[in-house]
Amino acid sequence: MRDTFMGGVHPLEKKELSRSFPLQAFVPKGDMIFPLSMHIGKPAKAVVKKNDPVLAGQVIAEADGFVSANIICSCSGKVKAVEKRRTLAGTLQMCIVVENDGQFTEAADYSVREELAALSNQDILDRVKNAGIVGLGGAGFPTHVKLMPKDPSKIQFIIANGAECEPYLTCNDRLMRSNSREIVEGLEIMLRLFPSARGVIAIEDNKPEAAEAMKRACEGKTNIEVKVFPTKYPQGGERSLIQAIAEVDFPGNMLPADVGCIVDNVGTIYAIQQAVLYKHPLFSHVMTVTGEAVNQPGNFIVRDGTMISELVEACGGIREGVTLKKALAGGPMMGFALSSLDCPVQKTTNGITLLDEDGVELAEKQATGCLHCGRCTTVCPNGLLPQLMYDAAEAHDYDRYEKRLYGMDCVACGCCTYVCPAKRPLTQMFKQTKAEILAIRRLQAGGKK
Amino acid sequence: MSQGMLNISSGPHVRDRWTTQFIMSVVALSLVPTAIVGVVVNGMHALFVILASVITCVVSEWMFNKIAHKKNTISDCSAVVTGLMLGLTLSPTVPLYIPIIGAIFAIVVVKCCFGGIGRNFLNPALAARCFLLISFGRVMTSYAADAATGATPVANLLAGRAVNVTRMFFGLDGGVIGSSIIAIAIGGLLLWAMDIIHGEIWFSVLAGFSAFILLFGGQGFNLQFLLAHLCGGGVVLGAFYMATDYTTSPVSRKGQMIYGLLIGVLGGVFRLFGSSADSFSYSIIIINLLTPLIDMYIIPKPFAYRKEAIAIRNGETVKKRSFSIPRPVTALTVIALLAGLSLSGVYTMTKDTIEEQKGAANTASYQMVCPDAESFTVPDAVKSSLEELAGQVYGSDFGRVYINEAVVGKDGSGNTAGYVVSVTSAEGNDGNITLSVGIDPDGSIIGIAFTELNETPGMGMRCGDPEFTDQFVGKNVKKLKLVKGGGGNTDDSIDGISGATITSDATVDAVNAGLDFFWNVMKKGE
Repeated sequence: MRDTFMGGVHPLEKKELSRSFPLQAFVPKGDMIFPLSMHIGKPAKAVVKKNDPVLAGQVIAEADGFVSANIICSCSGKVKAVEKRRTLAGTLQMCIVVENDGQFTEAADYSVREELAALSNQDILDRVKNAGIVGLGGAGFPTHVKLMPKDPSKIQFIIANGAECEPYLTCNDRLMRSNSREIVEGLEIMLRLFPSARGVIAIEDNKPEAAEAMKRACEGKTNIEVKVFPTKYPQGGERSLIQAIAEVDFPGNMLPADVGCIVDNVGTIYAIQQAVLYKHPLFSHVMTVTGEAVNQPGNFIVRDGTMISELVEACGGIREGVTLKKALAGGPMMGFALSSLDCPVQKTTNGITLLDEDGVELAEKQATGCLHCGRCTTVCPNGLLPQLMYDAAEAHDYDRYEKRLYGMDCVACGCCTYVCPAKRPLTQMFKQTKAEILAIRRLQAGGKK
Repeated sequence: MSQGMLNISSGPHVRDRWTTQFIMSVVALSLVPTAIVGVVVNGMHALFVILASVITCVVSEWMFNKIAHKKNTISDCSAVVTGLMLGLTLSPTVPLYIPIIGAIFAIVVVKCCFGGIGRNFLNPALAARCFLLISFGRVMTSYAADAATGATPVANLLAGRAVNVTRMFFGLDGGVIGSSIIAIAIGGLLLWAMDIIHGEIWFSVLAGFSAFILLFGGQGFNLQFLLAHLCGGGVVLGAFYMATDYTTSPVSRKGQMIYGLLIGVLGGVFRLFGSSADSFSYSIIIINLLTPLIDMYIIPKPFAYRKEAIAIRNGETVKKRSFSIPRPVTALTVIALLAGLSLSGVYTMTKDTIEEQKGAANTASYQMVCPDAESFTVPDAVKSSLEELAGQVYGSDFGRVYINEAVVGKDGSGNTAGYVVSVTSAEGNDGNITLSVGIDPDGSIIGIAFTELNETPGMGMRCGDPEFTDQFVGKNVKKLKLVKGGGGNTDDSIDGISGATITSDATVDAVNAGLDFFWNVMKKGE
């Protein structure tokens, strides 16, 4: 194991705003909205219609195909509509709107514990799939797909990602402090599926309490270890963790499983434990509401479908004398900006960051021509050359971008943009160029048919 | 919650506090100590030169953007850095129009016309300096900060005279304004520690230059000699501030090392085999032009595509990562070593011959200007006074002249047939002028003969023509006077060659120094 990955940046952590607040369950009152696409892959198919009564824990939309995930209702009440609503991304998407009766009656008793020994591997996979679990770190990749690699015997490391390198967010920190035992159990369930694998719980050194709690929970376990990494963004990136733990670098067209690794967020692993041992489907998860503009930051267990505006109001709303300049779903590095708070929390929403200062607006004012200082190259965790990639992208020289500069390997972590003294919108350009290249590929593939 | 639509944008939504303005300000500040030492050593005029350069840079960038209807970019402070760098590479005695013309050239032609910050293909300050050197050579290379010595340390070094490395290190020995090595090094190392300049570049520039000087300097591993070369001629300023210019240096670490080595080696070539003391600027400018080429061929692969990573993925055991010097650097070093060894071999073999030829040229020229003599001897009194001079400028009326040798010619019966003084003037248009003056025992000039004359053909070179040299024959005065345009016809007048005033002047000064030495040393000693 290396001490850390290569490159990376040290943005202001700002974790002190919310890290002292323990997790508390948030009880939503208003309507709940469930987008049919809260994951990577095909959107789920709605299996309820208007006026159907629903219960918490009930499947209201089913996975459509292998790479897709069930959508679980998080409250009881009745379906008000299946229609297009505004979601986090700012676009209108098909959503199931449920009128919340405030009872939260559950579809089954989720408190009965079953022992792992009584379950087969197939049971484990089925339960994960039925529970609608997706990667809660932000990407939302269906977890059952991740747990079924081509060759399970080749998996060497199951990495529980508790790095939480994103500034501001502290919900995983709190989850590891309060539910360390459950996370270790979840990891053991995963290790059951991969007999030759070792479990590694990765934590950054700015969370000593969480690391301590996890170490205590791991006592006596021979195949699980806690690894504390120096605080550096993006330590919690899949590739960065694998680079540091398995000492392997792999190109963008390979998956972690191809190099013998499976990385899951600690929140996801907690959800696996709940789903496998209690049959508890994924309809709530941990979240941080934080930022300089919010009155009372905190860490919450939030039910999917809760309106963000309701959550923010429960935190005391916007602090007096401060204007909300930017609202982000997630943290400031990889989170995306919201045009309005009137949209629902999704499975992958791990935080709401309300900022009183718009870094991008400021950056636009400070922008100059590229100095060729090379800071972007130094911090890129994949060893890419952002300054040359930008020039190629600007010139629409896709061939150079893709083949000579390996631009498709960009993971959009934002390090280059963060450090750029000329304040060039590098990450934005790369996201856009990657999308354009993929679109061209699709067009060409279609043309050949 | 009633809220209007919020701003959206692509992440990351927080940015580092470092801006272009910040970086440029730090670079400018790191140059301040160098500038202060320059002003303290060279006087207030140096401050005016620096200020003129900085102010003109900023104003011309502002004007250009105004006229071109572009967003004004002076607030990024890069013009200040350019101005400071240009000012520090000028002689403290230049008239103020020099920094002003240079600054306009740097900003308007090299920077703004090519698209402003980050688009210039040459380092603006250096390009301007080279432009000034070519256009105003005479003014640019007169470093007469101190009338007593006149020559810059590098000029002395190139002429084979002793230099004081300690004084050079602190920047007390003339040269350009920014010649305090210690101040430059402190500023540069500070920038390196802050990760503003790349260690790969400055280190490889200095390493390349040192290696070349040690290999080809003909002095073996002579630390004193190496330090003298390193401390002079802007090598350190170039390595820390000019070569590390972001825009004109390669992107990759490997490329930066190659780029640095090339600058160092080329600088060494110019220093040892060229004639100009200001050659380091040229070597940086030339390698600047190679940067796009280096960037085209040396693009490092992302970690995942490197050989080592592929081997790990294939399950091969790979040794622990260790620092390895990139192959091109190793190859270049080997090539440089081989070339160096062969060249120094050739030099050693031919060295004696070169010396012999020099000696022969001298004896032949003595014979020419004192034809009655059969043998030449150096009297003890003359020898000791020559030793006293020890390579310093002779007298105060003759410019930068040096007495090389002085001999007494004896005829077949042992009587004094005449005297010969060999004098070098460093005031030639294109380098040194060395000549021998033959003098009768009664003080009249028998003749003069050049042993070193590298002036411009058709102009300065015409001073070697008999038409000019024959004027000296038979003159019996203490001091000759140069007359321009054929005006004078007195005993002490020499008609200058039109279009070659500098060379004529230097020649007359050298002859006068020879006469002076004859009257005051040789004649007195008898």
